[in-house]
Amino acid sequence: MNTRVLVVDDSSFFRKRVTEMLNADPRIEVVGSANNGEEAITKTKELKPDVITMDIEMPVMDGITAVKKIMAALPTPILMFSSLTTEGANATFEALEAGAVDYLPKRFDDISKDREDAKQLLCSRVKLIASRRGQTSSSPVQAQKRDVTPVKKPLFKKKTVKGNYKLVAIGTSTGGPIALQEVLTKLPKDFPSPIILIQHMPGSFTGAFAGRLNTLCKIDVKEAEDGDSLLPGHAYLAPGGKQMELIQRGREIIIRITDPKPGQTYKPCVDITFSSASKAYPGKVLSVILTGMGADGREGARALKSTGSVVWSQDEASSVIYGMPAAVAEAGLTDNVLPLTMIAENLIQSV
Amino acid sequence: MPIDLEDEVLQDFLVEAGEILEELGNQLVDLEQRGDDKDLLNTVFRGFHTIKGGAGFLALDPLVALCHIAEDVFNLLRNGEKAVDAHLMDVILPVLDSLNDMFDSIRAGEDPADADPQQLENLRGLLNTDSAAPAASVVTSEPAADDNDITDDEFEAMLDAAAGNKPAPAAASETSDEISDDEFESLLDELHGSGKIDTTQASASTEKPSAPASTESASDEITDDEFDDLLDQLHGATGAPGANDKKQVAEPVKAEEKAPAEPEKEKKAEKPAAKKVEKKEEASKPPKTSDKAAAKEPAAATETTVRVDTKRLDDIMNLVGELVLVRNRLSTLEGSVENENMSAAVSNLDVVTADLQNAVMKTRMQPIKKVFGRFPRVVRDLARSLGKEITLEMEGEDTDLDKNLVEALADPLVHLVRNSVDHGIEMPDVREQTGKIRNGRVLLKASQEGDHIELTITDDGKGMDANVLRGIAVDKGMMDEESAARLSDNDCYNLIFAPGFSTKKEISDISGRGVGMDVVKTRIVQLNGSVEIDSTLGNGSVVLIKVPLTLAIMPTLMVVLGSQTFALPLVNVCEIFDLDLDKTNIVDGQQVVIVRDKPVPLYYLSEWLANNFDRDSLNGRGHVVIVSIGTQRVGFVVDELIGQEEVVIKPLGAMLQGMDGMAGATITGDGNIALILDVPGLLKKYARRF
Repeated sequence: MNTRVLVVDDSSFFRKRVTEMLNADPRIEVVGSANNGEEAITKTKELKPDVITMDIEMPVMDGITAVKKIMAALPTPILMFSSLTTEGANATFEALEAGAVDYLPKRFDDISKDREDAKQLLCSRVKLIASRRGQTSSSPVQAQKRDVTPVKKPLFKKKTVKGNYKLVAIGTSTGGPIALQEVLTKLPKDFPSPIILIQHMPGSFTGAFAGRLNTLCKIDVKEAEDGDSLLPGHAYLAPGGKQMELIQRGREIIIRITDPKPGQTYKPCVDITFSSASKAYPGKVLSVILTGMGADGREGARALKSTGSVVWSQDEASSVIYGMPAAVAEAGLTDNVLPLTMIAENLIQSV
Repeated sequence: MPIDLEDEVLQDFLVEAGEILEELGNQLVDLEQRGDDKDLLNTVFRGFHTIKGGAGFLALDPLVALCHIAEDVFNLLRNGEKAVDAHLMDVILPVLDSLNDMFDSIRAGEDPADADPQQLENLRGLLNTDSAAPAASVVTSEPAADDNDITDDEFEAMLDAAAGNKPAPAAASETSDEISDDEFESLLDELHGSGKIDTTQASASTEKPSAPASTESASDEITDDEFDDLLDQLHGATGAPGANDKKQVAEPVKAEEKAPAEPEKEKKAEKPAAKKVEKKEEASKPPKTSDKAAAKEPAAATETTVRVDTKRLDDIMNLVGELVLVRNRLSTLEGSVENENMSAAVSNLDVVTADLQNAVMKTRMQPIKKVFGRFPRVVRDLARSLGKEITLEMEGEDTDLDKNLVEALADPLVHLVRNSVDHGIEMPDVREQTGKIRNGRVLLKASQEGDHIELTITDDGKGMDANVLRGIAVDKGMMDEESAARLSDNDCYNLIFAPGFSTKKEISDISGRGVGMDVVKTRIVQLNGSVEIDSTLGNGSVVLIKVPLTLAIMPTLMVVLGSQTFALPLVNVCEIFDLDLDKTNIVDGQQVVIVRDKPVPLYYLSEWLANNFDRDSLNGRGHVVIVSIGTQRVGFVVDELIGQEEVVIKPLGAMLQGMDGMAGATITGDGNIALILDVPGLLKKYARRF
């Protein structure tokens, strides 16, 4: 069956463009459009679309309020269109928190220089998040809380010794902002190891995202900078559009931020950071692969495993997109498959 | 990126963004008065945001760069991190001009030029709220078009936001007393409950960017090129509708009211839970719509507005014109055939044609608001640069007139308004000394008077001194002292419309080159209109413009010269009488006739336009048509009068293009071709004194 989409944007120009791009895919059908949040709610009830694409800045009712109301009334997977600005980032995070599944830059050139690529990405994104229908609830986090029967004891396959880890490394993509928020907000201020975070995200977003996490979390979160030393109880978010590696400088291990090389799809790339971590802290890394599209992290996890480090991955039920966690799990690299809500608890117990 | 005007995507963008730009112009001027209006700030922010979005899609980087910073500025404003002040407006308003210029380039099929770096710099200067001031130097070195990077400045702002000063999401609670299109939409939505089917089409507003506007605001004088353009436009407008389509974009035909769309069926099918909500909604609806049966009806009429390319309207107008010609022809034939049924049918046709003509004309009507809309800004800018205090009042903005006329009137009106502000209104101190209030007043008024539109521009400034004008006319060698002295005061005021006449001793960048008024007059006359000025020394001036409602069909007086029929535009005709040619006088070598104690120069049209004319053939008697051009009157002696006829103006062929004295041609009721005379042009070409 075709994926039925509702396009929400106050600009008729954009409604038309997005509609054109989506309708070009034979598996997608744009069933309606709305030019503000209020109309979006009405149309959602009326048309029951599989996916909604949502603009943020709109008259009458903005996109974030609309997402909240739609998720409360008739949960539907929502793809946000965001401006790649700090303001856009903050608004996007709010929308994600309100229950939007994913976001794409509103400037299609930011998706890809090639318009055709951008179109394909948009369509595949829409189809993918449509498959999440039914699993979406008012908020992904709450959904998981309900879906998962509380597990009293962590499900360890392998005994771990507390204090054995020098570093926690978390890699994620789609659904990651909310997943990271869920995990990191639960960690105590005196969390004993440094944490590095690799979230696929555009460059203009990571600064705002780090700032947001920092205000929400007890631990300190910052956007990693070249030369940062790794301190316990601090989380370092890999800057978007760059690559983050851990290197030895003298006796200390520091963060190195480099420009991406041509051909690297993900900026930041989980594989690259994880691989460098496997060399910097052989056998001493606890890595976690959270929700995300694609398979980034699998090779990094392989490298980590080869030096004796541990890999956890998020389970399918709680993943917005079960791609990256599935990739490591299917490759037999994961030591522990956990629902999102259990990850923080397990981190606290293990590190 | 090469601009492809055929590209539908680009056209969509130009339409939408053009509308937004136009609204932005008014909103920004409003903003100066209501700088703390959150809704307005939000709307302006979204305006820039939407243009940026579209421009980004089309890779129009200069537009993106400019809108991006403007958007950032308004983001600070709407979050209350900065307040609107005059300096800010001085920076923001030119941004709008630059955007308009870029739009013009794009419409002309050119890549828009990069934004002026100084302007971007100024804008960035506005981004510095006090806390972020130290970051200024870093910020300014950032490349403009790059919106991927977070500038230090933004980072600061972000930190601020992170520190709890989080910007509120733009949940616009509509409390403003001004209703924008969007708000109107939402009002309608509210009224009809939730569930409009599609407002995509309906929301298309009637606004349309008018290209000539920014040309005018960018330069104060009309150059020869522009004047040529203007004439070209006129020819297009009068004769071949559709010739000036390049600048026209699709424009919606406005239906009386947007019909509500009530997806009642959908709703009924919904679960009981949803029904509860629905009932509540219904309770708040007007009683009429709460009746389900009644509510169902409007559901059928989902879209009552349609966007129609103006070219199509022009085509229809053209066809109606043809129909009028056929009707005229039939009416003539009917006179020669004695048949009652025929007469009845023809008179029926007559009524229907007239109605159709009216109906089609209405589709082409636009409120003069489209032109008036730019004046608050024009007056504001000018008053500010001159240090004057001026209130602009507007009346009759909803007066409708033909779209082509709206466009054609834009430039002359801008010029006249600028003139009132520049020359008319005195400096505040001077006003106080003469016992007036400091605040000058300019009133712009439009009204429909019968078959024409009257526009007046009134100022309460210093007025004009007839004697000074006489002196200037003599100084400029336009006339000798004696003739100057003979001019009535009113004639003197209208001297300012004469070519090369300027009262300003020095050329300012606003007006005073003596080019404008002349062109203004020529242009209005080309529209078959007239312009007059009256003034009271010390109390201000009034400029009165009269234009016909439409350009395509013109009421004329048909006359015969020699063996040929000519049409005189009826607007020019004052009166007709038979004359004993012996009762005329010769003054200064010019034959004149006294009409109600006023001498009126007499010309023999046949001498100018017919072959082998001999005055003696008139046997001392002639039909005289008195025509007026501005305040002047002249008499034309014609061989024969046929009567009044509505004609459809057809442009002259390429070979006759630019012939002085001919406005076009038409087909008469008897199937012949008649030339339509252009009275001012005719006089200019043939008469000595014009």
